[in-house]
Amino acid sequence: MKVKGRVWKYGDDVNTDVIFPGKYTYTVSERADMGQYALEDLDPGFTKNAKPGDIIVAGKNWGCGSSREQAAICLKERGVGAIIAKSFARIHYRNCLNEGLPIIISSEVQGLVESGSEIEVDFEKGEISAGGQVVKFPPYPEFVQGLVADGGLIPHVKKSLGLA
Amino acid sequence: MGRTMIMKIMERASGKEVKIGDRVWCNIDLSTARDFGGANCTLQFDEITDKKGRVWDPAKIAFTFDLQAPSHSEKVSANQKIIREFAKRQGIEKVFDINWGIGQHVLLENGLVKPGDVILGTDSHMNLLGGVAAFATGVGNTDIAASWLNGTNWFRVPETMRIEVTGEFGRGVYMRDLLTLLVGDMGAGGMDFLAVEFAGDTIERSSLAERITLCSMVTEMSGKIGLILPNGPVLDWLALRAGANGELVRQRVRDIAPDDDAPYCEVHRYDVSKLEPMASCPDAPDNVKTVRSISGEAVDQVHIGSCTNGRFSDIATAFEVLEKGGFKVSPTVRTIITPATREVMAQCAREGFIERFLDAGVVFTNPTCSLCTAEHYGALPSGDVGCSTTNRNFIGKVGKGSHTYLMSPASAMATAVRGVITDPRDILC
Repeated sequence: MKVKGRVWKYGDDVNTDVIFPGKYTYTVSERADMGQYALEDLDPGFTKNAKPGDIIVAGKNWGCGSSREQAAICLKERGVGAIIAKSFARIHYRNCLNEGLPIIISSEVQGLVESGSEIEVDFEKGEISAGGQVVKFPPYPEFVQGLVADGGLIPHVKKSLGLA
Repeated sequence: MGRTMIMKIMERASGKEVKIGDRVWCNIDLSTARDFGGANCTLQFDEITDKKGRVWDPAKIAFTFDLQAPSHSEKVSANQKIIREFAKRQGIEKVFDINWGIGQHVLLENGLVKPGDVILGTDSHMNLLGGVAAFATGVGNTDIAASWLNGTNWFRVPETMRIEVTGEFGRGVYMRDLLTLLVGDMGAGGMDFLAVEFAGDTIERSSLAERITLCSMVTEMSGKIGLILPNGPVLDWLALRAGANGELVRQRVRDIAPDDDAPYCEVHRYDVSKLEPMASCPDAPDNVKTVRSISGEAVDQVHIGSCTNGRFSDIATAFEVLEKGGFKVSPTVRTIITPATREVMAQCAREGFIERFLDAGVVFTNPTCSLCTAEHYGALPSGDVGCSTTNRNFIGKVGKGSHTYLMSPASAMATAVRGVITDPRDILC
């Protein structure tokens, strides 16, 4: 799988309250409706202008704070092609995996791109083409690859119970 | 090589020897959901099982209603109803409805949390239960729904940081101030993916409420869990609450005690004897300064409560500051106190606190999470400045365009009395 898109670049410690504001967790319950509010309290420009396939490039600890799964769903529904961060907060990391949102841990890309840059991610090769350079990124840990191969956590558990 | 507390907990829960970095399937002792996110869990479980599935063990599932209790809107009421109906259909009896208070605290008070347990919940502050050495963690609705299928979920065995704390707190200085200092030192990502063991004489002497406070904001440093091995009166209390499981509680403490040669990735030492009252300034928990350095800043609202500082001793501390301050809060500050649970509220009533608070101009509410979110009564209007004992002050968290300082119940009440941010030692000492 390859994803090509525009970069939206952010710093460290972006929390899930600004990714999906708490007030909407009570009023917006349909998945398809969540994408339009993504990053509203972080970057209204993203909320207004992000296109399917666009790629978030962030610093350390992306997705810290509240455990709300909506923070992953709203980005998935918005069509975000991948999130590349120096590190992820662990609850959000699980939620992104569970929602099938591609996440990449890399510390090199941040220095090569700015918001608006075009970059391409090749998931098979584990390569990101950015700013005329190619950056390698590691595959998911083997255990996680097994979950992803089964289609995610729920299909994996159902398979183990003979329900799939 | 020895093993840390979290390694021993995961070995028991997974039934196998573990190494740091392994990913293991753990049996879940309790899988909980609250009114916030709970309906998403039940709807997802129904969807993946075509509404025909049974949960793996109704006795190991609990629902708590704390974020919007009582419900403030028809939408929230509808979500709460979805949870109640699911519980009834599935034979889940542990439903702590809107009268109980904050979930983790209610689970503790009802003897449902044992040291070494693995507990899931839809609250990112589940890990305050590490204050009694349970491995409790917040997760999203998919992780909860999956756990209801077969009673397991997977975890990475984390590295452990050890924090040793010594010394006595000075007058007007509390565990919350140590915690705030720690959040500032570590930063928002300083404990990412790590377990933390708190130890040292200050910790060994600390109360259950103080342990809850300290462990609750491990989340604000992105830690997986902060663990304190129960001892003394805390262990006696836990064993008493556990009823028939009392001896098991004591056995677990022996089983999960860390080895002398356990591997720690980092060791930090703190001496609290010279510590000052600390505050998290707008708009991040790790933006930390001394209360003294920001004293005099005007505030519009003070809130004392939350899963971090809503225990009886927290409210008693606020009462003491109010008493020394002349039993009157400033007329320019809206002051709200929210006990963590109905047990805490009942104790406040028995002590005669509630009437004195009301006479002093305080709004004393029912037990609930209250002002952890803008979607609650008391949300701040744009331009207002709040002062709170909750655990997050992210921008917009309790109202778009507002800003919040986080501090101890003593500092918050001192601020309510004077109408501007005030070091509680100015009133207490």
